[in-house]
Amino acid sequence: MADERLKSLTSMLARHGILVAFILFMIGFTIANQRFLGLDNVLGVIRSSAILGVMALGVTFVVVSGNLDLSVGSMMSFSTIVVLDLHDKLGPSMAIPAMFAMTMALGAFIGFLVGYLKLNSLIVTLGMLSAIHGLTLTYSGGKNMDIVDKSGTWFSVFGQGAIFGIPVPVLMFGLLAVVLTVILAKTPFGRKVYAVGGNGTAATFSGIPRARVVFMTYIISSFCVATAGLIQASRSLGSQNTVGQGLELDVLAAVILGGASLLGGSGTVFKTVIGVLILGFIQNGLLLVGLQFYVQYVVTWVIIILAVWLDIAAKRGRLWSPIA
Amino acid sequence: MNTTVRTLIAGSTALAGIAFASVAMAETYKIGITQNNVGVDSYQTTYEKAFIAAAEANADVEAVVLDAGGDVARQIAQVQDLIQQEVDAIIIWPTNGEAVIPAVREAHKAGIPVIVTNSNIAEPGFEFVKSFSGPDNITQGSRSAEIMCEKFTEMGIQDEAKVVQISGQPGYTTAIERQKGFDDRLPEVCPNVTIVETQPGDWNREKSQTVMEAFLVKYDDIDGVYAGDDNMGVGALNAAKAAGREGIIFVGATNFAVGYEAMEAGEYWGSIYQSPVDDAEAALKTALDVLNGVDVPFLNYFDTPKITQDNMSEFTKPVF
Repeated sequence: MADERLKSLTSMLARHGILVAFILFMIGFTIANQRFLGLDNVLGVIRSSAILGVMALGVTFVVVSGNLDLSVGSMMSFSTIVVLDLHDKLGPSMAIPAMFAMTMALGAFIGFLVGYLKLNSLIVTLGMLSAIHGLTLTYSGGKNMDIVDKSGTWFSVFGQGAIFGIPVPVLMFGLLAVVLTVILAKTPFGRKVYAVGGNGTAATFSGIPRARVVFMTYIISSFCVATAGLIQASRSLGSQNTVGQGLELDVLAAVILGGASLLGGSGTVFKTVIGVLILGFIQNGLLLVGLQFYVQYVVTWVIIILAVWLDIAAKRGRLWSPIA
Repeated sequence: MNTTVRTLIAGSTALAGIAFASVAMAETYKIGITQNNVGVDSYQTTYEKAFIAAAEANADVEAVVLDAGGDVARQIAQVQDLIQQEVDAIIIWPTNGEAVIPAVREAHKAGIPVIVTNSNIAEPGFEFVKSFSGPDNITQGSRSAEIMCEKFTEMGIQDEAKVVQISGQPGYTTAIERQKGFDDRLPEVCPNVTIVETQPGDWNREKSQTVMEAFLVKYDDIDGVYAGDDNMGVGALNAAKAAGREGIIFVGATNFAVGYEAMEAGEYWGSIYQSPVDDAEAALKTALDVLNGVDVPFLNYFDTPKITQDNMSEFTKPVF
């Protein structure tokens, strides 16, 4: 009886090693600074993580299908700059759909190259990383983009608003996470994404339209990026051209930290959310502990490696590799 | 027949052109500039425009304008290109104060005078440089400290105020110098004010906002925020506004349009007025002075005055 219970506990741990790691870090940081788990701080961290998080949700689809998306950082800069610029030219209610259309057109272009032309996603999106950055700079002429009338626009609701005390970015992140979980885990399309990522050739022979599935993952990814750009723009109502620079690596780190395989075929939206939260809370926790900044880079790396190790150790049921 | 004549004419015109060019060389200076990262922010974008405009306005100057895109390796290659092109002088806006020294030494060895603009290279490279033209970032840091101290004194909290600092990108000379100027000057003018913590905001508004949010959670009592530039200062201001924390004195540096607007709105106390147009024109003038044999100080600073809500009407709103 007790044995069985222990067994189910171990198998639970095996499935959710990353969750255990997350809880351990939370306990550690809380001991270091009591305010870490304060409601204000927790909501604050989730709100700042929401931008990264929303992007990571979309990239999870791309990674599960066996591809990469390194363009999300500069694509987010693009959507932020575009929506801020159009806000004053067309008004917010026109600017938002226009920005989504432009961003998703970029996603469609990438999806076409990777899906239908079957080009290597690393090369395509690495190229798009700088190409989109150039596009953004050309669009803005290199200038910072700012909404002129900062206090008189309802546009600020997406980044600064709150409903029942919960910040709107957190709600958007949560809602999107639920919807995308259902799509990836419960729909035929979701299963096709896993199939394409697990074994593309087998998927093709099973009649799964590989190209279309890959194309759709990039559409989802760019939709998420546009949402992130909307939150970003609304949060500060002004932006530099480089606002999303470097985020692509944090996004990938969060997705991989959540346990998705870079080779495709595995990963879940929920685990990506945990990965995002781990990254967000590490950054915030280190600030609250007050470590000197240069040390923080190193400590962040150590914590990520510990988390990945715990995850893998839980999966195989022992700390050391049996075949090392 | 016809074509032969044409070729002859074209050939002799080209020859005449070369001859003319070599005569003109004596008066026209070819000045190459390699910039840090145009487009990364409005300051650098405005700087480039002002530099090109100043060069075009001067008939004696032919400018070769390059941009390293923030990449040290590309900047080194650009310096080497300029050496190959045998320009008369090289102006460099270092992407990294240490890493560009070998390239600067190469130019020096080739007999081409090098002028550093905006942010200086590290000290071991000084012997290869004719002059540094730019803002005095240590003075800027100390002036920000003075602005903050004066305001605290006016408010009567000069004996208990607590300050947090958001610095620029780690490893960037401007960031290090402004922080040093502030850290050194504040205890001199306001000995009882404490700097409780310093963390970098990487010249990034969003990053700075996140850092400030953590500060607000960590410290119940924050009276002043010093940010390495207004972009970060406004990020910190946004965080304080979102958290409903009022009465904090914000002081920045490099007055941006957003900072100027926040000052107009009475939310942001002061900054340091630094014009990219002055910066670019000073760099070109320094290069020309060096070429014309005019005596130029090694550290050729242009003035960057204090700007606060009290005197802001004397300044025009920054264009960046």
